[in-house]
Amino acid sequence: MARSVGAGLEPGPHIHAGFTKDRLMRGTLLFMAPLAALGVAAIGWKVLAHLAIALSTAAAFHFALVLGERRLRGQVLHPSWLSSLVAGAIVALSVLAVTPYAVTFAITALAIVLKFVQGWVFERKYLNPAATAKVLLLGGMTALAGMEEGLMYHPHHLWLDMVSSEGFRAALDWMYADGPFSPGLNLFLWKTHAWIGGVSGLATLLLGAAACWVLRLKWRIPLAFLGGMALLSVILAGATGGDPLLRLAFHMFTGSVIFLAFFMATEPQSTPMTELGQYLFGALLACLTFLLQLRGVLGGSVIALVALDFLTPVLDRVGIRRAVGEKGRVRA
Amino acid sequence: MPEFYRERGGFVVDARMKHGLEERPFEEVPAPPEAVVFLRQHLGPAGRPLVRQGQRVMAGEKIADGDDPLSVPVHSPVTGTVLAIRSVIHPMSGEEEQALLIRTEDEALPKPTEETDPRSLSPEEIVARVRAAGVVGLGGAGFPTHAKLKAARGVRHLIINAKESDPNVACDIRLLRERPREVVEGIEVLARALGNPEVIVATRTQAGELPEFEGLLRERGYRLVHIRPCYSVGSERLLVPEVLGREVPLGGYPPDVGVLVHNVGTAYAAGQAVRYGLPLLSRGLTFWARDSGGRNLWVRVGTPVGHILRYLGIEEARFDRFVFGSALMGWAVPDLNVPVVKATTGIVGLSPKEPSPYRHSLPCMRCGYCDSVCPVRIFPSLILAAGRRDDKAALRRLKLAACIECGLCSYVCPSRIHFTAVLRHGKRLLQEMKSPSPKS
Repeated sequence: MARSVGAGLEPGPHIHAGFTKDRLMRGTLLFMAPLAALGVAAIGWKVLAHLAIALSTAAAFHFALVLGERRLRGQVLHPSWLSSLVAGAIVALSVLAVTPYAVTFAITALAIVLKFVQGWVFERKYLNPAATAKVLLLGGMTALAGMEEGLMYHPHHLWLDMVSSEGFRAALDWMYADGPFSPGLNLFLWKTHAWIGGVSGLATLLLGAAACWVLRLKWRIPLAFLGGMALLSVILAGATGGDPLLRLAFHMFTGSVIFLAFFMATEPQSTPMTELGQYLFGALLACLTFLLQLRGVLGGSVIALVALDFLTPVLDRVGIRRAVGEKGRVRA
Repeated sequence: MPEFYRERGGFVVDARMKHGLEERPFEEVPAPPEAVVFLRQHLGPAGRPLVRQGQRVMAGEKIADGDDPLSVPVHSPVTGTVLAIRSVIHPMSGEEEQALLIRTEDEALPKPTEETDPRSLSPEEIVARVRAAGVVGLGGAGFPTHAKLKAARGVRHLIINAKESDPNVACDIRLLRERPREVVEGIEVLARALGNPEVIVATRTQAGELPEFEGLLRERGYRLVHIRPCYSVGSERLLVPEVLGREVPLGGYPPDVGVLVHNVGTAYAAGQAVRYGLPLLSRGLTFWARDSGGRNLWVRVGTPVGHILRYLGIEEARFDRFVFGSALMGWAVPDLNVPVVKATTGIVGLSPKEPSPYRHSLPCMRCGYCDSVCPVRIFPSLILAAGRRDDKAALRRLKLAACIECGLCSYVCPSRIHFTAVLRHGKRLLQEMKSPSPKS
């Protein structure tokens, strides 16, 4: 027994609830697993290939960076390999099945590098690694190779008329005709052309909500995001005529919205801490995503998310709640 | 008894350490061969020693006192000889402080004097007797009881805190079961000193669980309130709004809203002091260790933890440190010679196989768990970031002063960050802002 007086003193607490970062990451992976299975069922074996590439790339880059970190810094800042696997899974579930495998590999690799580098430089992540990697890589490719090959967005989508009710209807009939149901129901239940993690809007909604509840994710962000999208859809449907349910189905349940709402926009480090900050983040995310969708940038939520991440330090200053006792504060 | 306490944000505190402890009666631990009696047993300045090395002292004899309004006399817990004055780690501060080493020569405790009816005493006389007996808050904080009574005269409510929220402590409930009459007599004493305010007893028990105690309260017209199972509500700052619906102002104290809160153990000690002239020499506490479970003990102040282990028949070598007080708030001290003080509510023995859960913390991932669970509604995550860059303006904006250091932010943190050190550092920075040094 160490008896030297003054040595080894520890202030409380001395017990812990037992819920660790690894358990949080494991839980996130478990909630995403059924989405991956649905992706395979709806789209096919290519989904498995994307998952295998993304997960193995994430693991490989994680271990390589940890090794380098240990050699160069003498300590490991991010030892949780499950966290890197989550980033890999998010990348895989946020691409289209038609995406070249090399692109999935490159986005994943860049995401893991961004995750580590932000930690080394800023001691936290300011930008969502998966979203930023996707925007940087596809944006760079688009700039270098042109729109058609760049994959940032599909140039033929840019000419779609997403505002008028007739144009919107025609666009949806063209994009979501493949599937067992009508375009509206396909969007809600079973898409064959979407982000892999969002093939079933309903399943993603239910699993995402369950993940928020069980893992205590920042639920105010998806609530404000999806609520905002719903509100804007109804307003636009009212202004332009047409079926409001179809508007809702499209603006809320495209894969890039519903998957991002729960599994990317709730990324803890790059999003605000205060309740009001989270609501504002979600609402602004909805506004920006909605505008991009109307411009034909259908996977634009990821661009909006990265843009909003820059606002997080500001939003952290908004909505500092009243502390207990502050109402009757005794002035010094 | 519920074994999980529900906190804000849907989190729970595991209180299974208490399992079955309420059923275990107090065991009287014999006096130690050598008592280690700190000159400071409370929240306030240390007393001056009134005895010298080699002097023989009687059990109950005053051995230290001071002139400060917040000083409290200390009495010898045994009859014996003062061997030395030594520096020992104080379990309340975690720092070395002066203690008298007294060799026990006679274990007998002082006999009660003839019973005094508190109704025959003025409030001032009661306060003087409470101080003379060295009574301090026994709920863990150790604030001088006489100072609290003096400052709060005329309050409208006296809340007796029998909530006993700490997950490792069961001695208050035992006190209510084993000595209900003495506790109620003590409550009467405190109420008389305050000018007979409304008395409310707050417990975590269910109605009918403490029949004798509940009957005695009914006889006197005292109100019994059953508090929801929640760790953080044990703090007086949160107990007052829970019971009366009014918040204690930030920077203020319960008397600012017409309330005084005393622990049930304090009430017992005050009753013994005023009615029978007995100084505070011993107290109930709960010892807990993973292998041996929990025991409720009646221990003299100044008893080193090593002596308690010998009494319990537990091998000393099994432990490498001991938590004094709450498992969520107390200091862990790696020394068998550290003694029980008046404010010690419990001791947890930790083996080398139970290292601190916070020894390998990860960077904050801003999950917000700490912000959700915080019972005073501040943002530990943002305070952590501001504290690390010594941003005093941000610490003030984030209302760090409201922090009650309950430890819940660390308890739920998935990255196992030890917030307490940062929060205390931040509070010191704020104090420096309030009271700049004379040079500045």
